[in-house]
Amino acid sequence: MSLQVLRFAALFYAGAVTAYVLYFARPRHLGLATAGQWLLAIAFLVQAAAIGLGCKEYGGAEFFGLRGGLVVMTWLAAGASLVVQRLYRIPAVGAFVTPLILVVLLPTLFLVKKDFPSVLPPEVLRPMVTIHIVTALLGVALFAIAALVAVMYLLQEREVKGKRFGALFSRLPSLAALDQLNQRLVRFGFVVYTVALLTGSGMAKVVWKSAWQWDPQQVSSLVIWILYAVMVQLRHTGWHGRRFALLTIAAFGLVVGSMVTLNVLPDGTTRHGGDYSGARK
Amino acid sequence: MKGGRDLHLVGLSHKSAPVAVRERVALSGDELKDALAGLSARPGVGEVMVVSTCNRVECYVYGEAREEARHFFLSRTHEADGHLYERSGREAIRHLFRVASSLDSMVVGEPQILGQVKEAYGLAASAETAGAYVSRLCNRAFATAKRVRSETEIARGAGSVSQVAVELVEKIFGNLKNRAVLLVGAGKMGALSAKALRDLGADRILVTNRSPERARALAAEIGGVAEPWEGLVSLLALADVVIVSTGAPTYVITRELASQVMKARRGRSICFIDLAVPRNVDPAVAEQDNVYSYDIDDLQKVVGQTHAARAEEAIRAEAIVEAEVMAFAQERETRAALPVLAELRRHAEQIARAEAERTLSHLGGKLDEKGRKSVEAMAQAIVNKLLHGPTARLKEAAASGDSDLPGAAAELFGVGEEEKPRARGRPESDSGAAAHPESHR
Repeated sequence: MSLQVLRFAALFYAGAVTAYVLYFARPRHLGLATAGQWLLAIAFLVQAAAIGLGCKEYGGAEFFGLRGGLVVMTWLAAGASLVVQRLYRIPAVGAFVTPLILVVLLPTLFLVKKDFPSVLPPEVLRPMVTIHIVTALLGVALFAIAALVAVMYLLQEREVKGKRFGALFSRLPSLAALDQLNQRLVRFGFVVYTVALLTGSGMAKVVWKSAWQWDPQQVSSLVIWILYAVMVQLRHTGWHGRRFALLTIAAFGLVVGSMVTLNVLPDGTTRHGGDYSGARK
Repeated sequence: MKGGRDLHLVGLSHKSAPVAVRERVALSGDELKDALAGLSARPGVGEVMVVSTCNRVECYVYGEAREEARHFFLSRTHEADGHLYERSGREAIRHLFRVASSLDSMVVGEPQILGQVKEAYGLAASAETAGAYVSRLCNRAFATAKRVRSETEIARGAGSVSQVAVELVEKIFGNLKNRAVLLVGAGKMGALSAKALRDLGADRILVTNRSPERARALAAEIGGVAEPWEGLVSLLALADVVIVSTGAPTYVITRELASQVMKARRGRSICFIDLAVPRNVDPAVAEQDNVYSYDIDDLQKVVGQTHAARAEEAIRAEAIVEAEVMAFAQERETRAALPVLAELRRHAEQIARAEAERTLSHLGGKLDEKGRKSVEAMAQAIVNKLLHGPTARLKEAAASGDSDLPGAAAELFGVGEEEKPRARGRPESDSGAAAHPESHR
């Protein structure tokens, strides 16, 4: 049931992608951007219903696996994108974010494995686990949007500096606007990610009786956290523009890389959707 | 079209007259209103509208007296002689449509002209010198301009160097609020660009020049603050947009100076716009992060691209204008054919009625009511059958722009002769008179 609703949401995402891409091609038709925003909002609501139904059907276990994680992440990215549109009114961002959401969402519609972890977190851990999952995924979603905005920045910088003044020049927003948006997304993502890290180590303490275990997941999360912390700090010392955009993209590359490697690692102790058997003892 | 009422245009523009002549002819406000009133009081002038901008003064007269518009210019200055162009009929209609659509502007596609034509029409309407014809003409011209703007890309891109500079600065800094503009050197172009940036909301304009007097004078002129030349480095640390146009033969902004400034700015973006020839900003400064630099060639190249793109769009725009001119003129000529038709029918029906009555009175009371009715119906039927062909052909001829046939028909059937006095005995006006409804009234 929840899968059907999710596929239905994907249709609205496809509609939003179409509207935004058409808007990007024909920027004079502002109505297309508005249509894209509405379709995205509807898709967001429909996906929320799908996630709610999924929680009812499988008790939320679905979302401890990689596939479920991606479903929630796309949903959070859509929500974040809606908020960004609301605050900054840069519809061109939609033309970059919505296609990525759709691309990430598509495999989850068809590659449905029942890869739920066999052991679910005990009730005592429930709120902390939920907060951990949501903040970790939201953090990654914000880093992803920041990376896309950084790509937009680099494209526009190439136009402006290279004196091309072509189609992209007129369609992309100003460098200042993109740079500022990038910075705010990174900053907010960092705060959210910090919460994820704290709840994560809190859980580790309960499950493994120790907050730090040199577990690959923990190590990579800490490295990512330090990287973003450094970026937030660099920003204060005047780093911005091209170098900051490149850093944003590199950092997100690391996030994706760690997610992929950790999920293909042979059966380790923890991964996204870990093993909570320790907490039972 | 000869004789009769028609649209006549006499004018001069940036294409035909130097500014020295244009400024002596141009008028505005009350002066323009008086001129309109004066012109419309002249004999043979029906309706008048005068478009007066800094690039053109054009006098549109609807009536028989095309000379009046010419006198209007010559009375203002005799220098206008030789710079005037004259158009009549469709040519005049086309000219107004092209002007309103910004196809005749100095910078093709510039947006102000439509507003200026609207203003001219508004003034003529309020002075009651614009009547039914000029109103229809102007509304069609505005609709044409709107079509041109929405159906072609003629208004896209930046049309002048300062517009390009403004567009660039907007793409780098977005909102210009809280940004400072620094003018290095006292060139005229630089002042123009600085003004454009201030109009866009730049908060502070700083002016510096080797000679402090000129810096002060320019600062006063554009509403900026003069700063001493010795403080250039600290000024550069402050300003976001730097417009450079000094007469110096070498680079004023060198690579070393720029990197020193970027350190002081802690990497905040800076944009140099170098309007000087020879160049005053080393192009190598743009190799640093967040430093943007454009010289006059870069800007001119964009202007050139815009103009090329607009020239291409102008071809499509001309086609739209042509179609609208055709449609407007046809509409008018169809209207022109209608009075001849009405006259013809009235004439024929009068004869039919008279003949029917004569027949009936001859027959006396020998016919009953039914018989009388059939005689009258027969007379009417003959009129209808006879006129059916000519009616259709006249409408056709009018729609295809043939204005001779209505006149010929009027002459052939002998209608419309009693209204002759308006034509003031000019023999060639016989054909023209029928083509213009107004000459019948």
